Amino acid sequence: MKKLFFILSIPLILFSGCSSFLEVDPRASISDDNTIIDAQSANTALNGVYSALRSYYSINFQSIAYLSGDNIQWTGSQSQIQEFINHNVRAENATISSTWVGIYETINRANNVIAKVADLDAGAIGDSERSRILGEAYFIRGLTYFDLARVWGGVPLITSPTLNVDDNRGIPRSTQEQTYQQAISDWDIAEGLLSETTNRYQATRKTVWALKARYFLYRQDWQQALDYASRLIADVQNYELLAPYTAFFVNNVVGTRESVFEIYYNANELNPHRNQWQPQERGGTRQWAPNDTFVALVNNPEVGGSRSALVALDNQGRWYGNLYYRSPATDPTYVIRIAELYLIRAEAKANLGDSNGALTDLNEVRNRAGLADSQAEGQDAILLAIENERRLEFGLEAHRWFDLVRTGRAKAVLGITDDNRLLLPLPAEQLLLDDALEQNPGY
Amino acid sequence: MYNQYNRKALFMEHNPHLRDAVRWLVSVCFLFFLLFSEKSSAQNKPLINSTLSGLVVDASSKEPLPGALVKIEGVTNQTQTDKDGKFQLITGQPFPYNIVISYLGYDSKTVRAEGSPISIELAPNLNQLEDVVVVGYGTQKKKDLIGSVSKVDPAATVNIPTGSFDAQLQGKVPGVQITSNTGVPGEALNVRLRGATSINAGNDPLYVVDGVFLNSNSLQTINTGGKATSPIADINPADIESVEVLKDAEATALYGSRGANGVIIVTTKRGNYNEKARVNLNLSQGFSKAAKLWELTTGPEHAQLVNEYFQNIGQPAPFRPVGEVINGVAGRGLPEEQQTYDRLGELFRSAALTNADLSVSGGTSQTKYYFGAGFNRQEAIIKPVSFDRTSFKANIDQKLSERVQIGVSNSFARTGRNQARAGDGPRGGLLQSALHTPTYLSPYNDAGELVGRAGFDNLTLLLENYDVGSRSLRYIGNVYLEADLLKNLKFRSTFSLDYNNYDESEYWNNLLIEGSPDGLATSTITQSSTWINEQTLTYRKNWDDQHNLGIVVGNTLQGSTLELTGAEGRGFANNSFKLISSAATTTSTQDWWEYRLASFFGRVDYAFRDTYLLDFSLRADGSSRFGTANQWGYFPAVGAAWRIKKAAFLADAKALDDLKLRASYGSTGNQNGIGPFAARGLWSGGESYQGVAGIAPEQLANSELKWERTRQLNIGLDAIFFNERLDFTFNVYDKYTKDGLLPLSLAATTGFDSYTSNSAEISNKGFELAITSTNVRKKDFSWQTSFNVSRNINKIEKLAYTIYAGSRDLVIFQEGSPMYSFWVYNQLYVDPQTGDAVYEDVNQDGQITVADRQIKGDIWPDFFGGLTNNFSYKGFDASLFFVFSYGNKIYNHNRFFGEAGGARDAARVILASNLARWQQPGDITDVPRADGVNVNNYRDGGGRWLEDGSYLRLRSLNIGYTLPKGLTNRLHLNRLRLFVEGNNLFTWTNYTGLDPESAANSSPNQQGIDLGTPPQPRSFQFGLNVSL
Repeated sequence: MKKLFFILSIPLILFSGCSSFLEVDPRASISDDNTIIDAQSANTALNGVYSALRSYYSINFQSIAYLSGDNIQWTGSQSQIQEFINHNVRAENATISSTWVGIYETINRANNVIAKVADLDAGAIGDSERSRILGEAYFIRGLTYFDLARVWGGVPLITSPTLNVDDNRGIPRSTQEQTYQQAISDWDIAEGLLSETTNRYQATRKTVWALKARYFLYRQDWQQALDYASRLIADVQNYELLAPYTAFFVNNVVGTRESVFEIYYNANELNPHRNQWQPQERGGTRQWAPNDTFVALVNNPEVGGSRSALVALDNQGRWYGNLYYRSPATDPTYVIRIAELYLIRAEAKANLGDSNGALTDLNEVRNRAGLADSQAEGQDAILLAIENERRLEFGLEAHRWFDLVRTGRAKAVLGITDDNRLLLPLPAEQLLLDDALEQNPGY
Repeated sequence: MYNQYNRKALFMEHNPHLRDAVRWLVSVCFLFFLLFSEKSSAQNKPLINSTLSGLVVDASSKEPLPGALVKIEGVTNQTQTDKDGKFQLITGQPFPYNIVISYLGYDSKTVRAEGSPISIELAPNLNQLEDVVVVGYGTQKKKDLIGSVSKVDPAATVNIPTGSFDAQLQGKVPGVQITSNTGVPGEALNVRLRGATSINAGNDPLYVVDGVFLNSNSLQTINTGGKATSPIADINPADIESVEVLKDAEATALYGSRGANGVIIVTTKRGNYNEKARVNLNLSQGFSKAAKLWELTTGPEHAQLVNEYFQNIGQPAPFRPVGEVINGVAGRGLPEEQQTYDRLGELFRSAALTNADLSVSGGTSQTKYYFGAGFNRQEAIIKPVSFDRTSFKANIDQKLSERVQIGVSNSFARTGRNQARAGDGPRGGLLQSALHTPTYLSPYNDAGELVGRAGFDNLTLLLENYDVGSRSLRYIGNVYLEADLLKNLKFRSTFSLDYNNYDESEYWNNLLIEGSPDGLATSTITQSSTWINEQTLTYRKNWDDQHNLGIVVGNTLQGSTLELTGAEGRGFANNSFKLISSAATTTSTQDWWEYRLASFFGRVDYAFRDTYLLDFSLRADGSSRFGTANQWGYFPAVGAAWRIKKAAFLADAKALDDLKLRASYGSTGNQNGIGPFAARGLWSGGESYQGVAGIAPEQLANSELKWERTRQLNIGLDAIFFNERLDFTFNVYDKYTKDGLLPLSLAATTGFDSYTSNSAEISNKGFELAITSTNVRKKDFSWQTSFNVSRNINKIEKLAYTIYAGSRDLVIFQEGSPMYSFWVYNQLYVDPQTGDAVYEDVNQDGQITVADRQIKGDIWPDFFGGLTNNFSYKGFDASLFFVFSYGNKIYNHNRFFGEAGGARDAARVILASNLARWQQPGDITDVPRADGVNVNNYRDGGGRWLEDGSYLRLRSLNIGYTLPKGLTNRLHLNRLRLFVEGNNLFTWTNYTGLDPESAANSSPNQQGIDLGTPPQPRSFQFGLNVSL
């Protein structure tokens, strides 16, 4: 019997040391209550914000802008891409959905940094570093709301981090005006916090100025657009229109003096964008490609000039876009470069009645592309020349759709008949998940 | 950062299971000591009082039975018969005494020995009621079963060339639906016991091999277009003795938190005590081919359809004379000038099948053993895919004394695969290149170089340069100790290990899209290990043949870890450099997780007069995956049975051998499919920017997270008639799953997609019927028929939101509908006047919008099952095995792409079925005129491509001939059988694709979508079984 007790006790012996048996801690992740505790962790959390920005900017957000224009055709099999080209985007569209989700993920990360870095003890982080980190987070949040406003109009404004499942749900949409106000107020704060240095991969006060120039152009505040654009153009030590046109992207260059803000990639932080453009023989899918009209324009020496380097022929005689081409796939995402500031100022001047000034700025960009001066005369013709210049200068970048919408020219140029199509639909599944959201009219 | 020494110390400190292992070993050693310390005193000097000689023969054939065990009742003295069936017992016991003679496959017999010599006849055991069935933590006689357990003899299907034994069981087990998905051997398949209970936590049954809980999740990380390899294929089917499938709560509750999807218990072969060494050799060789291939348009037909499309939309026909230049674009030549290029013929092949198994088994009075070795190589019917497995097996049991036995089970396998992406995605997809590329496009460009077309790789280049493969090294084994503590009390302790080293690599050179422009190589090594320590105490006692009581109590500790290390290199100097170390840029990745499970369980069963059976079981499981509030779950079950035949009113029913009514009710759990840390709020790394580390929120906490719980009611009736010639089993069940694990979507404004919650409810109801009938049982001729049919009705009872899955949202999960429903526009007809498709306007708003998509069928069959007929005539035997499924739907996604009416132009092949399109007013057809991609007639989610997937398939036909005894004796063989086997010889179906079981993706949520998947092949093999 003694033996029996002994044997029965074996499982108990085995278990006696097992009070913590069911506690297993992850190694690939950390618990969410000790994340931002000092300067170093604040910096890593800020990197996480850039990482989220990169993830929706690499393809999805940019594709909305250029596919919805009139330069690109779709060669793949999924109709959701074609919807942009046909200006018939459905609320179920997958790109719309992933962009929306990606932007709000970025906002939540920025909100975490803003809330938690502001709360850090003075001993944990120095004042200038705290300001810089907060300023960059505010800058990115401003950019997200600016992008939300120009794609969808008014959206829910989220300014605090989500800490449990009930936070930040059921927030109704603000107006487009309020959304733009959120963007500019974030940028105002960022402008105050950031220092006036040059960094092409992270936000500085100059980056804020550049985006503010774009903001006031969209808001048709011509004088402020002109002022902010001039601050960058005047900084000739750091920014210039590189010649030839290709100098800002060929030969694997990054961070050129052309660039004001670009998103950084390396072999570990790849940019899959090239796969959409490059032909099969170069490891891509060429699922989107320059359409016949754009190929004709860009190859026309009178119109495209040296920008014809944006397209190339594959081994089956088909044209493909060649702005994103690198292997490994580390092509920068060009958020804003100095050429845009010239064209912003040109447009602002034209609207302020300074035709000569407008032409001067426009011709800077034309001459850089190897083109003669513009022959446009009169405000309307100059504005049209600027519009057409932007079409080619930013042919494979995220501009054409937003440009035509903000100038009210989308209906005329793209043949859209329904005003409601100028804002894209909110993702259908988000409407199902949150009763507070209302769809844009017409969808 | 720890240095290495610190890490070692930490490893010991933070690995309770290592301490447990040490503790276990110490305990077991001590136990040995106790049990043996007593043994020496029990030995006495032998005393001879009688010598008994005898002969043991088969009762009907009078053939001697070598290796039969002869034992004197009540004492330990025993011997066995020699090769002539003779034995001699020398004993201290004087006559008379009882001897017990037992022999595998025969009824044991007790004979009173009055003197020597003695002749004993043994009758073959036909009594199914005495059959032993393996159940959770023990065995039961079939007559005592309360739960729903199906026993399968895998020998009948062992030659079906699928790679893994579970695929071979298709159609053999009532209530078990097995879908192969693909004709590639060794690839993951779907095994569903009594339907599906979970959207997110996995629906695969629990596999238990010799007591080891097996990892059945693929370790594959490389992208093969949604497909995955099957870890079950690491087991050699030839080493399996029996497979038991546990289905109801009574049978599965002892597996607690993992029993909800049923349990498949695999018992491997072991030797027998007192059995002569027996050598078995099985060899077979064969080939397989596709039973049919897709019918494609020729080049001229393709061109014609494309021209029609352009005419329909009012644009110039592109296939016009070359000189006819419109808007700067030259014509491509008239349709009749187009060539036709056959790519399917280049891809498909006659594939070789080879199998060899050798085993030796036997035993002495103290030791029994089984040694097995196997080699299996199967080519897939598409180049260059193949599967091979080399396996070794060693099972040894040793009696240390009359009361203590130890043993080991070891199986070691190396599984190698040449892999390829069959269907999905543009890169490297074999069937994209071979099937989806238009036939009129030449594989060469104007410069005479091989080029890919339609965005896909060039097939010839793919076949020449494909270099993707994996190697799995797998050890599954355990060591056990079993001791009779008291007369009726048995203790058993086991330590088990399932270790898998899975090594994958890819090399894509610059001739392939994936490798352009300068090569890509990856290498990933994944190690999965599960250790289990388990103790059970089993008590069984019988009083006066009236009361039979059994008790099992036990505990289990389990830990599972997964470690992954991967590297990737890009930029190779040229195609001769293949190692990542020679790449220009390299990146690496690493992952790790662990989860643990602690369990206690117990079962009490009681039988009164062998008539009234009752049992109760309970398991408590604690899992590290769940929130602190809900770490422990309790899973009870109760069952009862009444053997009605024992009642007085049936005593005279001579035709009825047995009649039993069974009922059980209980609860089981499921915790698969969610991450090991799903309950926690986490931030993760890997969010670097500019090469500097970055972190970000990963998931929100849910401390309330707990198991999925399935309760199940089962009522069954077993009846056996006519001297056990007709056996009938019927079960009805009702399963209801609550707290279904589900990533509950969050509004994106939170910054999160979802959090893991318990929020789905799913029901499965159904019945199973199995009939086995011995139609003829004569000396020279016998005929046996087995038939099973099952039906399962699946329904999502509660789901907070609709889930879409599969390409173009073809599959939908919606409250009130079955899981895996197809969501389509229902095409009513093609208007004979306009040639346009007319769809059902569900909401009658006069237009066809997404609101008109509706559920039209699902992947669930109305019924499914199998039919086997076995014949034997003298030396010949034949087995004819059919499987069937009726009423399931399949979405023919190949047709969706291949029937675009010409609108996809040069981007896709056009199937020959598109030629039946509407062409002029008055045409009656269901194929509309071409109007563009996703416009109306060829819209995404069109219901025209949803087809009936019912089928009846001759799964296997096996004909064998066993050489007469006289001849084999002269060859010094015990037995020699020659056989031929054909598989998938015929399939009767209305499905227009190649195989009604195809699915493009291994993901369970995307079943029933057929795209670019090689069909299950038709195969022929011949072989021989020899035993010495």
